[in-house]
Amino acid sequence: MLVSWEWLSDYVKLDAPLEQVVDKWALSGLNHESTEWVEGVPVIDLEVTSNRADCLGHIGVAREASVLFSKPLTIPRPEFVEVSEEATSIVSVENQFEEACSRYTARVIRGVKVGPSPEWFAKRLRSIGVKPINNVVDVTNYVMMEIGQPLHAFDLSRVLGGKIVVRRAVDKETFVAIDHRTYALDSQMVVIADAKGPLALGGVMGGLESEVSESTVDLLIEAASFAPMSIRRAARKLKLHSPSSYRFERRIDPNGLDWASRRCCQLIQQLAGGVILEGVVDSKQEVVRGAVVSLRRARVHQVLGIEVPWAQSKRILEQLGCEVTAATDTELNLVAPTYRQDLTREADLIEEIVRVVGYDAIPEDAMVPMVSSARRPKDIMMGTLRAVACASGFDETLNPSLIGKGATDRISPWCAQDPLATSVPLLEGAAVLRRSLVPSLIAARLHNQSQSIRDVRLFETANVYLPQGEGLPKEQLNFGCIAESDPRIIRGVFEECLGRIWGSGVEAIEERVVEFDFMERGTGIAWYVDGVMLAWVGSLSKALAQSSKIEGAVAIGELDLDMLLSRAVLVPRLRVLSPYPAILRDLNFIVDEGVQWQGLRRTIEVAAGKLCKEVVFREIYRDTKKDGAGKKRILLTLTIQSDEETLRSEQADALVASVITACQGEHAAQLLS
Amino acid sequence: MALESFYSAIDGMLADAQACLLGVDSPEGVESMRIQFTGAKNGALKTIQKLLGTVPAEDKPAAGKRFNEAREAIEQLLLQAADRAGGKPKAVTGPLVDPTLPGLRPRMGVLHPITQTLEHLKEIMGRLGFNVTEGPEIEDEWHNFVALNIPEDHPARDPLDNFYLSAAKATVPSTGARLLRSQTSTVQIRVMESTPLPLRIISLGRVYRPDAPDATHFPMFHQMEGLWVDKNVTMAQLKSVLRLFATSYLGGDVNVRFRPSFFPFTEPSVEVDYWWNGQWIEFGGAGMVDPNVFRAVGIDPEEWSGFAFGLGVERLCMRRFGITDIRDLYRSDVRFLRQFAS
Repeated sequence: MLVSWEWLSDYVKLDAPLEQVVDKWALSGLNHESTEWVEGVPVIDLEVTSNRADCLGHIGVAREASVLFSKPLTIPRPEFVEVSEEATSIVSVENQFEEACSRYTARVIRGVKVGPSPEWFAKRLRSIGVKPINNVVDVTNYVMMEIGQPLHAFDLSRVLGGKIVVRRAVDKETFVAIDHRTYALDSQMVVIADAKGPLALGGVMGGLESEVSESTVDLLIEAASFAPMSIRRAARKLKLHSPSSYRFERRIDPNGLDWASRRCCQLIQQLAGGVILEGVVDSKQEVVRGAVVSLRRARVHQVLGIEVPWAQSKRILEQLGCEVTAATDTELNLVAPTYRQDLTREADLIEEIVRVVGYDAIPEDAMVPMVSSARRPKDIMMGTLRAVACASGFDETLNPSLIGKGATDRISPWCAQDPLATSVPLLEGAAVLRRSLVPSLIAARLHNQSQSIRDVRLFETANVYLPQGEGLPKEQLNFGCIAESDPRIIRGVFEECLGRIWGSGVEAIEERVVEFDFMERGTGIAWYVDGVMLAWVGSLSKALAQSSKIEGAVAIGELDLDMLLSRAVLVPRLRVLSPYPAILRDLNFIVDEGVQWQGLRRTIEVAAGKLCKEVVFREIYRDTKKDGAGKKRILLTLTIQSDEETLRSEQADALVASVITACQGEHAAQLLS
Repeated sequence: MALESFYSAIDGMLADAQACLLGVDSPEGVESMRIQFTGAKNGALKTIQKLLGTVPAEDKPAAGKRFNEAREAIEQLLLQAADRAGGKPKAVTGPLVDPTLPGLRPRMGVLHPITQTLEHLKEIMGRLGFNVTEGPEIEDEWHNFVALNIPEDHPARDPLDNFYLSAAKATVPSTGARLLRSQTSTVQIRVMESTPLPLRIISLGRVYRPDAPDATHFPMFHQMEGLWVDKNVTMAQLKSVLRLFATSYLGGDVNVRFRPSFFPFTEPSVEVDYWWNGQWIEFGGAGMVDPNVFRAVGIDPEEWSGFAFGLGVERLCMRRFGITDIRDLYRSDVRFLRQFAS
């Protein structure tokens, strides 16, 4: 809202300098955007919150200043002499669309002389960015900028039979506005029409056909009240925002129509002459009663934590326009002014009091009682996870929750249903809620690749959105990783996290070799608990890597953190160590390529029994010259230890022998001696 | 030979070497001592090494360790004596250690600056007694609007100002509009619906609003929301908690300023500024929980009162780390991310 300092002085005389007034406004609810000098006059740009439509006119802003500086507010009296001819004798109004237009009033002025406005008047409008058109249109704009009520003047000769119909637009009905553009309307929009067609798009913009021009002699002055929703919808849909729609969207004073209409007639007569017909054509004569609200003295203190003198509270509310109907030492009953439709409850009144008193009065050293508060298990778990990831060389990224269509958008290891999408994309082309973090991580790796940064390891912890039937989707917190070449890098990170967070609970995990279509065949592994997937790791398929232009082999994996948390054991417990020495035995087996560690390990564990504390994988290597093609060597170490006695080497030998026999039997493994 | 005897033989030799080398003052003298003690044939060390073979098997590891220590000690003594005698250091052959080479620095990852900020906020608010809570990012209109006193005709509900989920396939009957939450205040509602009073919570997370991305706007960002509901919670306590927070976060003595504002879910509503380093800094919005919000979740506003506040995490993060373009936070460029190692 642009406020002319000079114009404002019509309504309130302030001694305080501009800066002081501006500061006071800012600290009482009218935020100061800027002050500019236009044609020698300071013009102040104030940010008016959407609940304060009363401040979308100079009088409303002046009222604030008058209350803040205890200066009287002068509101012009819209008085004029009417001729005896009644407006109703030549104009009629039929309101067929009360949901969108609760009240429509029309006044008639005859015999005006349309021409330019006087300079002082035009200058006021120019200073706040309103382009002067002619004296009649200028007055309608002036009054809107004075009181906040939009008005419209029609050339009465263009209103067929003087019959105004407020109605729904017909679908696809067209209308040429005063901006010379044609708009296609729909049946939810309200038009001001005559028998021929729309004259104005109600509350938004007038029509070219009936606009006031140099040749206009008789005027119909509209002052109406349009419903905020209806106006907002129309303005949005047509991308036609006007000072008028802006004010109606914020709800104008329903009792302000008459003042504005009279003020408009008064000024037109002053500027353009003419005679004002008697009375008003009114679709619904009514006085809207302001909200009845009561205020308890004790409540002011309860909410604010400070004592405001009761007399001061009362005075502030009265100055703001509230009518006190009953006052005791402990309670006020009052009626809020209709230009302040935001005042309907006690809490609203308390806000009025404190913003005028000033928030400075509220101390910033009130007592805050102590309560217990602790880190959640989830925060502790996340701390562990992040520490492991960072220690393993993974940088954390955060990526948008929505992804676009592309080579990777079908990566969805957690759910087979189609992804959810938003009606408006988050970023260009990105309207799909991701079902996996991997597409984002691939994009992140690609970005770095394009900057010639290779071998980045990245992780993200964020929700994925898994549709499930008709209800709210499942939001699953995932830990996603991407790394160079070897999936064991990611698997190792997951194993470390699991070991730290689940402890011995990892024994519940069942490992399965899996194939997902986005993985290179034979590289995928997944962990399940009670048949539900906890994590997966693998290599991105060469086809996908190629189509998404990723260079080199890429390992990817995800871990379900909700499931991880559900079994977290965040405080490790002591396990008593065996006091007897352990015997380590290295074994080097030659096996077929097809033999997998998982199977071999199981065989060893079963054969070795409980004296075998650990089977540690060391490495795989190949010596085709000695072993022939299709063979590999697996080197591993057994830790053999008893909790009851010192083992003799013969016991260890026997155990190792049974391991070798089992591996020979089940995997055709040859021990390399 | 018993272990003890072996040890005393070593001790004797070491004492001997120390005494002999003390009097040496020429390179020739040092060389003869070297032969006497470390000579390959009849050096004193060789003699001791032979004794090692006679130590019982189970004591061998300990004895061997002690022997190695003795050898190193003698070599040290010889070096020191050579230094004193001023002889030329022996020309070294083979690869040289370059102690000026850079260290073998572990390549550790770095936490995202937003994560660091979120954790920092949780820590400070935790000390003030606020527990962390969470809620879903995909919300229904009840939690995102209705219960927050945002009526149907409020501009905040405009479909163009929100990320509504597009209707799923025609075969799935509509179950009410869903949208990506536009504020973390939704969590207030969920917590008040499910948690006994009093409560003091914060919720942090992603929120979504259609905004064309530029240096200060991104359609996805993070908020921290705080809520305290108890008997007799006042605006003075709101101001005080925010001051304690700011003093902890920014450091030094910080003052708080309230400016009136308008939010549907609080009344009175204020914008909060901090006076810090000689200027007012915008912090976020706050206010006393609107009675309509309490009623929406079945709390009697006559019995309970409370305050709520919300702030943009990105702004705090960017100010802290000197980041000037919000979009950099979501580009995953490791050159950017690795700057914030801490």
